[in-house]
Amino acid sequence: MIAYTIYLPQIKGLLRKWSQEFEIHVPTRAEGDFFEFRPWTQEVEIAWDYDLAYTTLKKFFLPPKEDILCFNMKDYSANPVINAPRQLLLGVHPYDIKAVNQLDQLMDMDSPDVNYRARRDNTLIFGLEPANVADTAFWSSMGAARVDFGFDLYWTRISPGAFFVQVGSAKGEEMIKLDGPIEKSSVAQKEAARRAHLKILAQAEKRTLKYDWNRVPDQVNKFFSNRTFWMERAKTCLSCGSCNLVCPTCYCFDIQEEADDLLKQGKRYRQWDGCMLTGFAEIAGGHNFRASAWERYRHRYMRKGKYIFDKLGELGCVGCGRCVRACTARIANPREVYNDIWEAIKNEI
Amino acid sequence: MKSDFSPYVPRPATLVAKKELNEYVTLFEFAQDSGKPLAHRPGQFIQVSVYGVGEAPFSVSSPPRTDHHHFEIAVRRVGSVTNALHGLEVGAKIGIRGPYGSYFPMQKFVGQDFLFVAGGLGYIPLRSVLHYMLRHRDEFGKLTLLVGTRNPGERIFTDQLAEISKRSDLDVLETVDAPDEEWQGNVGVITTLFPKIRINPETTYVATIGPPVMYRFVIQECSKLGIPQDRIYVSLERRMKCGLGKCGHCQINGLNCCLDGPVFCYTEIAGLGEAL
Repeated sequence: MIAYTIYLPQIKGLLRKWSQEFEIHVPTRAEGDFFEFRPWTQEVEIAWDYDLAYTTLKKFFLPPKEDILCFNMKDYSANPVINAPRQLLLGVHPYDIKAVNQLDQLMDMDSPDVNYRARRDNTLIFGLEPANVADTAFWSSMGAARVDFGFDLYWTRISPGAFFVQVGSAKGEEMIKLDGPIEKSSVAQKEAARRAHLKILAQAEKRTLKYDWNRVPDQVNKFFSNRTFWMERAKTCLSCGSCNLVCPTCYCFDIQEEADDLLKQGKRYRQWDGCMLTGFAEIAGGHNFRASAWERYRHRYMRKGKYIFDKLGELGCVGCGRCVRACTARIANPREVYNDIWEAIKNEI
Repeated sequence: MKSDFSPYVPRPATLVAKKELNEYVTLFEFAQDSGKPLAHRPGQFIQVSVYGVGEAPFSVSSPPRTDHHHFEIAVRRVGSVTNALHGLEVGAKIGIRGPYGSYFPMQKFVGQDFLFVAGGLGYIPLRSVLHYMLRHRDEFGKLTLLVGTRNPGERIFTDQLAEISKRSDLDVLETVDAPDEEWQGNVGVITTLFPKIRINPETTYVATIGPPVMYRFVIQECSKLGIPQDRIYVSLERRMKCGLGKCGHCQINGLNCCLDGPVFCYTEIAGLGEAL
């Protein structure tokens, strides 16, 4: 493992260099205890100790609204639209990197999504060891406390003025050396990074799943037909889709289009959609395959807990806890849902 | 940034013929502007674009052809894209993507008997299989076609049905749920036709397509006849938006109807709570 130690005064110079090639996004304090990734400028203060960014980083790869096609309504010619700005995300927590790694696989699977791929290829991810844990998070028990890949650099704060920076790609190494000579990390600094990880892990383990995440698919599948459980859980669901919006692994979208005033040409775009919204599974003629809120609610937990697992071998929930915060009815909580199913099955036996 | 390829880019096709099948359903014949055959297999679907309105999935109703580049879809006027299609004049253009999805495994059916169970608009995709078999008639055994419609006014492909009913190498039975004064044929839901047919369950494959409510009852009747589950095929309707297994709209439990379907062997979906 190649690693360098970067000191706080060096960072501004690096950021200035990087900003010549990339749009840089960093975690900042948005309001009160809420943090958000925002474009970096000289004046922006980076919230190195943030606990959770309110919205997810999927927006950098799958924008809320994205043009995918421009068409000519007269001759029916059409061309793809692929916009892929060069982006650098500095300060991404491991659970969010894990979510991006999943999206990478899902979007590349079968027929690769060229729009997603282009954006992903043009984006650098500089990971950051969390220094705080959100009061709704449970990522340590979802196998998302550490990632082995998916970052170009991975930063761990080892003292108030220093970061241990692990190299994850050749491009990452090139970037960290861009503003002059830097110091190779010592064994002691590596040890300090390891201790920082263990420290945050101990803090994260205060709120966990009650069992190994590997068993979630089996457990949740056993409860698929338990209508009472899902109906009870979802009875106050407002079908607002907030949980979908903030989820780092939700990627469903709708496709729409608009024509210009003269009906000569137009563009087709996709925009975020959510399986919790009423008309998500509706077909022409009005038949709705998930007409009730509880069916949609169940689908969401099945998808995170089983369907994604069946495709990738890991859960579709990384335990970030965003949905728990965002849910207006206070019923979105994967940890509670999966724990309650576990308890119920245990008590049946 | 421009790229040469995106799976979201439709290809142009031109409307060459249009025929009303009933008050709401019209048959459209298109030709690919490329001059190449569509190269679909029976049961597959395409995404059809009317620019400025939108895109929607339709099963191809014609059998695969290698001798020309025309293909047919039959469309019920029910939403924005289907209404726009109905408004097209011959010579108008559309955009198409696909063919997409799974298909009926025709090679598996060679030498076997076949039972078609078509409810309402389910006849449209099944027609692709039926006409393939009729074109290669000597490769297949006994063919039986059951057609059910809500009322006589909603029947489609009536001329073709009348024509193929005369054939001695195909049994056609039709029924309507609600007859009018002129209707002379069978009355009742499609399952009421089952007692009237004679098939060998060990050599018969079944393909059934119809409204969501129909499948369970048809499968039940097939089981009563002793047809094994792995000989029953269905095609399911969902709202495929991307056709590429990404957008999530067509998911049936963990399956994507656009990739894993729309054609399923019954054993693939038997345990899935959201399938039928």
